[in-house]
This record gives sequence, C-alpha cells and structure tokens, in this order.
Amino acid sequence: MSCQLAILCLLTLLLPPLSRGAPMSPAERITQAYNLALSMQENMSTLLQTYLQAQGSPFSDPGFSAPELQLSSLPPADISFKTWNALDDGERLSRVQGAFLALTQHLQLVGDDQRDLNPDNPILLAQLRDARLRAQGMLGNVAAIMTALGLPNPRAEDTLGLVPFGASAFERKCRGYIVIREYGHWTDRAVRDLALFKAKYPS
Amino acid sequence: MLFQIQISRMKTSNVIWVGNYSTVVKRDPVLHWSWKSELPLECATHFVRMRSRVDDAKIPEPRFWSNWSSWKEADAQKSLGRDPLFLFPKDKLVEEGSNVTICYMSRNQQDNISCYLEGQQIHGEQLDSNVSAFKLNKVSFIRKTGTNIFCKVDQKDVIKGIVLFVSKVLEEPKDFSCETQDFKTLTCTWDPGTDTSLPKRSSQSYTLFESFSGKKILCEHKNSCNWQVDSDSQEMYNFTLVAENALGNRSVSVLFSLTHRVHPKTPYNLFLKNVSGTKATVTWKVHPIGNYSTLLCQLDLLGEGNVIQQHNVSIKENGEYLLSELEPDTEYMARVRCADANHFWKWSGSISQKFITAEAAPSEALDVWRNVKSVSGRPTVTLFWKPLSKLHANGKILSYNVTVENLDRPSGLEVHSVPATANGTELTLDQDSYQIHVTALNSAGPSPASVIVVSGDPGNEEVEEERVNGTEDGFSVSWKPQSGKAIGYVVEWCDHPQDLPCDLQWKNLSSNTTSTVISSGAFRPGVRYNFRIYEISTERMAYLLEKKAGYLKELAPSDNPQVVVSNLTSHSFTLSWKDYSTDSQLGFIQGYYVYLRSKAEKECHPGFKKATLPDKSACCQHRIDNPEQKTFVMENLQPESVYEFLVTPYTSAGSGPLDAFTKVTTPDEYYLVEKGPYTHTHHPPHDRLRFAHHDHLLPKKSVENPHLTIMNVSDCVPDAIEVIHKPEGSKIQFLGASKSLTETEFTKPAYLYLLPAEKNYSGPGPCICFENLTYNEAAADSGSCGHFPVTPEALPGQPGPLTSPENLLKALEKNYMNSLGETAAGEASLNYVSQLASQMSGDKDSLPANPPEPVLCSEYKMQMAIPLGLASPPPAENSGLSSTTPLDQSEHYR
Repeated sequence: MSCQLAILCLLTLLLPPLSRGAPMSPAERITQAYNLALSMQENMSTLLQTYLQAQGSPFSDPGFSAPELQLSSLPPADISFKTWNALDDGERLSRVQGAFLALTQHLQLVGDDQRDLNPDNPILLAQLRDARLRAQGMLGNVAAIMTALGLPNPRAEDTLGLVPFGASAFERKCRGYIVIREYGHWTDRAVRDLALFKAKYPS
Repeated sequence: MLFQIQISRMKTSNVIWVGNYSTVVKRDPVLHWSWKSELPLECATHFVRMRSRVDDAKIPEPRFWSNWSSWKEADAQKSLGRDPLFLFPKDKLVEEGSNVTICYMSRNQQDNISCYLEGQQIHGEQLDSNVSAFKLNKVSFIRKTGTNIFCKVDQKDVIKGIVLFVSKVLEEPKDFSCETQDFKTLTCTWDPGTDTSLPKRSSQSYTLFESFSGKKILCEHKNSCNWQVDSDSQEMYNFTLVAENALGNRSVSVLFSLTHRVHPKTPYNLFLKNVSGTKATVTWKVHPIGNYSTLLCQLDLLGEGNVIQQHNVSIKENGEYLLSELEPDTEYMARVRCADANHFWKWSGSISQKFITAEAAPSEALDVWRNVKSVSGRPTVTLFWKPLSKLHANGKILSYNVTVENLDRPSGLEVHSVPATANGTELTLDQDSYQIHVTALNSAGPSPASVIVVSGDPGNEEVEEERVNGTEDGFSVSWKPQSGKAIGYVVEWCDHPQDLPCDLQWKNLSSNTTSTVISSGAFRPGVRYNFRIYEISTERMAYLLEKKAGYLKELAPSDNPQVVVSNLTSHSFTLSWKDYSTDSQLGFIQGYYVYLRSKAEKECHPGFKKATLPDKSACCQHRIDNPEQKTFVMENLQPESVYEFLVTPYTSAGSGPLDAFTKVTTPDEYYLVEKGPYTHTHHPPHDRLRFAHHDHLLPKKSVENPHLTIMNVSDCVPDAIEVIHKPEGSKIQFLGASKSLTETEFTKPAYLYLLPAEKNYSGPGPCICFENLTYNEAAADSGSCGHFPVTPEALPGQPGPLTSPENLLKALEKNYMNSLGETAAGEASLNYVSQLASQMSGDKDSLPANPPEPVLCSEYKMQMAIPLGLASPPPAENSGLSSTTPLDQSEHYR
C-alpha cells in the first residue's frame, strides 16, 4: 500500500496537470520543479545508503566515500560560485537539463546492473526505479520552464554511448555509486538553481 | 604424435609447466590444446614452446624428439589500457572451498598498494616489480552477490577491485529412489541439497539416465522426475541421476525391479455400514495396480487416538471388514492404508472415517448407598448413587428410576423418576421395611437394578468408636465380621466433615474382606474423619458394625480452652473449661497442661514441675492426662498474691499456644461485706468488694490500669455501705435467653457494672446500684442509676479502660449475648465493678442503640470518701503475656 501511495505521490509531482483549463505560469512551473527537487533531495540519503549496503565491502563500510571515482559521461555538478552566479537563465536551465538527461540514462544503466548483481534486493531496485522516474520528471519540468520562459530547448542526446558496456561486476558497483552520488550533487544544485528562479519569477 | 609442451612465466627460462599431449595427426590438421593458468594470464607474460615425436608402435625405435619450436609469447598486458592499477581475474566463479589466485598489476612500481578482501587486508607474493599475486585458500561463501576484493594505491585515491563469485558446493543428490503407483509412470525423488544458484547463474540442473533403455531426460523439478514406463517388458531399471552446474556435476545411481517399487494410491470411498452397539462393517476401494496385483490393506480401529484393533485384509479392488467387540455409544475411527501384497515397498496414504456405535442398555447396576434419618418423627431415606462410568452407561443416561416396595405391608410398587442430572433422591417412609430398586435408563433400556433394603428402625447406633491412624495412603480401616452372613460391607465417611453437606462417600467391599484403605484427595491434616462400617445382610439391609475416627495427621491444638475461675479463696481457686469440646480439634486431645507462675513463689507446688516458656521465662507445669478432666483446683496459694495461669490442651503433635496467661490475685483473709438476705444461697467464705476501676477508692492505684483487683478493706476507710436486695425470688431475665435464672441458680459470681444515671438505660427489675455521692453529684441528683444485667465476661480482656460509659457499654453488649445461660449474679459476693465518675470520654457514637435492659438491681446507697494513702496497692503491672481476669469469671480474649 505504502509503495503504491509513494508512486501515486511521485506521479503527482511528475505529471503535468492536464486537467487544468489555463496554462501554468512560469512561476507555477518553477515551484513545481522546485518541489520535485526538494522531494528528490529528501530521498537521496536513503537511496545512497541502500545502494552501498547492497554492494558489500568496501562500499558498505562505514563512512565510505570515493570522490576520486568519476564517470566522464556524467557532467560534473561542481562549479565555482562566480561561474554559477554568472549563468544566464538559459544556460542555467540547459546545464540542469543536460545533467538530468545524462542521469536518467545512467540510472537506467545502474538499475540494469543491479538487477544482475542484486536480483534479490527489491527495495534497492525499486528505489533506483523511483530515482530514475524523478530524474525524468525533473527533465520534463525544466523543459516546461524553458518553454514558459521562451528559452530554446536543446535536443535530447545519448550521453552514454558505448562506454559502460563490458564492465566487470566491481566496475559496475563503482559506476552505480558514482551515478547515485552525482545524482545527489545535481539534485542539490537543481534545488539551488530553482530557488534562484523562484526568487526571480515570483508568483 | 606425441607433443611435449613447455610453459614459462615472465621469461622463457622460467619454465613453470611441462606436459605431454598425444593425438592422431591427420593430413593438414589444426590441433587444439588448452591449458589453464592458476595465475591470471593478464598479470604476467607467458611463453610456450613444444616439440614432437612419433608415438606409433608400428614405428620402430629409436624415435627421436624434434627440435623445440620457438617460444610463443602470450602477453595479455599489452591489451590493457593506461589505468594505474589492474586487478585480475574479473568476475571469476569458483566453488566454495577451492583455491583462487588473484593478482594486481601496477603501472608505477613506486606506488604503495594495499589489497583487501571484505575489509580485511591480504598479503601476497610479489612476482616482479609491478605484479603481486595473492593465493586465497579455501574461499568461503559469503553472499550470493559475490565477494569483493579491492586494492588501492595509497596517496592516490585509486581503487580497483574484482568480485569473486563463490558458489555453494554442489552436493550429491540424497535419498534418491523411484516408485510407481500404476505401472505407467515411475516417479523418482531425491533431496537436492544446497541450492548453488548465483545472480545470473541458475542453480544446478538434474538429468535422469536409464542405462538399460539408454534413455535420458532433463528433469523439470529440482527434487523429482517422472519417467514414463513404455511397456511391461522392462522389469529392471538402472537409473543414474546427474546434478550439474557451471562448476561440475555429481551423480547417484539406483538399480531396482519395477514390481518391488509399488506404492499404491490412497484408498478411497471408506464407509461404515450396519453400525450397531458392538459391530460395524467397513468398506473401501483401492485403485487397481496392473492386472494381477493384490493389495494388502491394514485396517486400524482407533479409540481416543489409540489403535485398539488392527486387521490385515488382502483385496483386489474392494475391501470390506466386519469390526466387532465394539463398545456401545463410543466414537471410533476406522483407518485404512494399503501396500503391494507380494513385495512390500511402502504403505499408501491413509483414509479414515469417524463413527459412533449405537447405544445399549447400561451394563452395570448403580452403586447405591443410603442415609436414614428421622425428620419430624418419620424416617427419611436419602439415596445416593454414583454416576455410571462411560464404559457402563453405554449411552446418555436419560433418568433414574427408583422403585419402592413395602416389605411389611405389600401395597404395590411406588415408582419415582429422578432426572439424569441428580445423583440421589430423598424418600420419606414409615417404620416399615422397604426394598428399593434403583435403575439408570438410556435410550436403549434400563440398567440392572441396584437393590437396597431400608428400615425405619435405625438399628444399633450405640457402637463404641475406635481410633484409626492415617497414613500418606489414607486410613487403613479393618473390622470384625459379626453375623457371618454378610454379602458385603460398606465403609462410609464424609470427605468434608466440617461442611454441610459433608460430601458423603462410601466404599463397597466384598464379604470376604475385613479391611481396606480409605483414601481421598480431600483428606487434610488436622481434620477428624469418622468412618462407619456397615455389614450388608443377605436381605440387603445395612447394619452398623463399627465406628472409627482418625486424623490423616494430627496437629497441635490451635486454640486454648476458655477457662473460668471460680471458688477463689485466699489459698485456692478453681479452673474449669467444661465447654471445651475434645471432638472437634486438630488432633485427639490427650490431656491438658496447666501452667502457673507467681512472683511470690519460687518453688513449684506439688504435682507441678518446672518448665520453661518460649520466651525463656520459667513457670510451673502440671499435666492432666485425662482429656475429659476439665477442672483443676489450684491449692496452697498465698493470700494477697498475684498468680498467672494458662491451660492448654495437647495432642500427639504438641500443645496449644503458650501465649496469654491469665492473672488472678488471691484475696486476704478478711471479710468486708455483711450480706443481707442472701441466706438461701451458698456463700463462699471470702466475700469481697471488687473494683474494676476504683480510682476513687484506691487513691494510690494508678488509674491507667483498668484491671480488676481485690480491694483490701483494711486500706479503706468505710464511711457507709449498704446492700439492698430486692425481694427474694426475683428472677434475672436476660434478653433473648430461653430460660430465666433465679438467684438460687447463681452458682457463679458476677460483676455489677454501674454507670452514671442515664434514664435511657434504666429499666425495671432488680438491680444493684452504687451511688457515689461523693464524686458524682449529677448522678446522685438524678435519683436513679444505670440498671444492667450482670455479665461475668464483660470486663476481662476489653481493650480499653472502662472508665467511660461508652466502653463499658460496649463491653456489656459484646459479652452479654455470649454469656446468656451461664451468667449468674454473685451469690455471696458483692461485686463492685465500676464506680464511674462523670468523666465522659470516648466515642459516644459507638453507644449501642439497644443496650441490654437491666433486669436486676441492688443498690449501693452510699459510699465513702477515701483519704489519700489508704487505698490498697495497685495490682502488679501486667507482663506481656498476662492479663488480669475478674476473680470469679475468667475468659481470655485475644
């Protein structure tokens, strides 16, 4: 029941309100995207812990962190404040959109990996599926904001390419860790970006 | 051709393996040969070369080796990328318990690399400057998702790892066997043991191979496989079951004859027919096995879960059996299972059916006993019977029939129907003799009659009671036959003799029995059980033979008798406890101990011996061996001395509590009061005025002591005292008393209790009244005084001082009712009990609503004023174990 309820809530955030007569204003779209980002932020810690616990040592060791592990196919969320502050609306949203496009594809890959490695862990698989759905939702919400603000909407592209295939089990475990970690970083950045838009386009 | 192959590692000179490979070489052959390296090939360059020679017996010796080929290099490192660290082998699958070698290769030999297996650092052997190998012996299964092994380059935050997938060991299938239910299908089953599946790798599979037919099938299930029997021609089967997974296989075989592996199907259609009280027919069916097979079926009859009958029946298809020797009205279960009659292999499953046999008339007569008593002059017979056991009732008892026949005056039969819930009835008869038949009825009929003859004449009840000893097993009761014509005996007793009804019990015994042990879970120590043994005559009349009484275990008395002190003189007094019943105690009363102690006398009187009390104090003890001797005269006492006594009974288990001694003070040898008209009474020689709380008359006495004592007249200065007695023949009328006592009946002295005049409590009749004109002007003015009956037990032991009228009234009320019938006014003593000043204290609300009415009065008209210093000394202070008793009537209250 709780699982069904969670999915229902998730869909409420992800799906555009089709039944409304009047189109949503930019501020409403920003608020909706912002609320989704907050929801993603709330679930981040649980997802990361569930993932790490399922992978065994060293991932499940207390305080595990491997910042040196990176995926070139994922854009880094780190950015200097000066650069971030100087981004215009279009660039800001484009970067978020690009990141969540990549994250959506990577989360799909991680979900597939874990179906192989941890087929008997339905909680982990469900959380990865939810994370991917949220990333997709964020993608749609940002696109809607860009449309509402009259900004050009870049074309979706395949960010994964051929890179991930053929990885060993350990590499796939590492890859999943990086994707989830970066998913968290980009969620934090999206919250910050959308908070900026909320201030800029008040309702 | 024979090929000799050499393999070197790192450098060609480091040969690590040499082996031969022989094969037939055809024209333009491409030969394949493989070798598995323990060390992952990625970690070190390997070299291989070979040489050959003819290996054909047709070719004569000598046969020479060819030259070695050139070394061929296998270098997997070249295909690796530029990563600083590599770890091999990747995603290797091994069986639990096997040995695994892993290695890492570092691009930079300066790097400091540490490796870990599930968090534990492991140490390896350095193969060269960049390569190290780790040999893991007997790897354990940790989890299905694999065992992580990782290495990291210190200071560089580089992590590389592999996952080792360790599979559980594939076990040989256990308990492999095959059987058929119908000669069409063989079902083979086994215990597969541990599941060896891993993620993305399925569990072991099973294949069944039969060697005689050469057929093989892949089993669909992990623990069973069905094999179709093609024809009747194959009798023998040799099955091999192979379990296989990615790492290996295990197999097990079984050889058997098909006809020896018949496991019939569970029988069906089990029915019970023609069920009577003692018989029932069971029918059932079985699935036929082939054309000629006979089945052996086992029919169990179960009662209350236990098999009580077992029968073997050989059948082809239909089974039938007549069950007999059943009990009526009993639930049974019939259960059938079958096996091949020729070659037993296994029982089929069981089929069962419950059934209840029909009722039959009760098979035994009731066990009936009677009690005859007289109610309003008419003999009343109470019949008791014990319910029939289920075994004998043969059904639900619907009612009991009691048929009464007058033996003296034939007048037809009187039939009473008693409900099934009753286990007895009561009949009112006359002095004639009656024969009573009692039967129990169920739906099938009556039981045999139980016959008992009773007579209005209770017979000889004057049978001396004997004692019987109780043991852990009960009471061993024996008797002497009298008539020699007894057809049996009955021992009767009550399980709860102190209750009403006392739960009458009886035990029937045969005529050749003269003893029995009576046991009951209800028997308790300290309870007296009375047993009556009856002889049953040939006329079925019961005659009392003997009476027995006994205790399962005697206990020491829990209470002491209430002792009355009388005949007090300056040298003696009498103790009596005539009301003490010896029959209802915790053991047989064997006698009494009389304890006496006095500060005045150090030595014990004759007949007494020294004894030590539980509080270590000394006293004198006299033993009375006769339990019926309930009086004792204390003699040779000192005048004006305080004595304390205690009377306690004893049984074989000990004596009663040595707690409350009673205090008695002997008077001096002077007379005080002239008595007026008491000439017709018997007067003891030492009449005294007694004061319960005579602080007015005894100035020296401490007022805290409420107890009575004797006032020595010599200590007083008489002013005037007058005893006015009402006319002779006046009777003391006690409320609620069934008889009135004349003065001449006053054999015991009593106290008079005086209250300030309160009209509410005054009443008609004679009284003795003291007026303290000196101290109670209000009372004097009233011209009247309280009139109360004399109650000897009133004062002793009262917890509070009696200086207030409330307390006095309480005492009066409490003891009044108890003293009826035994209370008498002092016939020769003028008992001044309480002269109350007008101090009114205490809880007035507690005054009784209906105080006893005064019925007898004498009046004390005038009193004296007592000068200080002339009062008699106060009585001795009570010890912890003592209380002071009134002189003439003494009771203990605790």
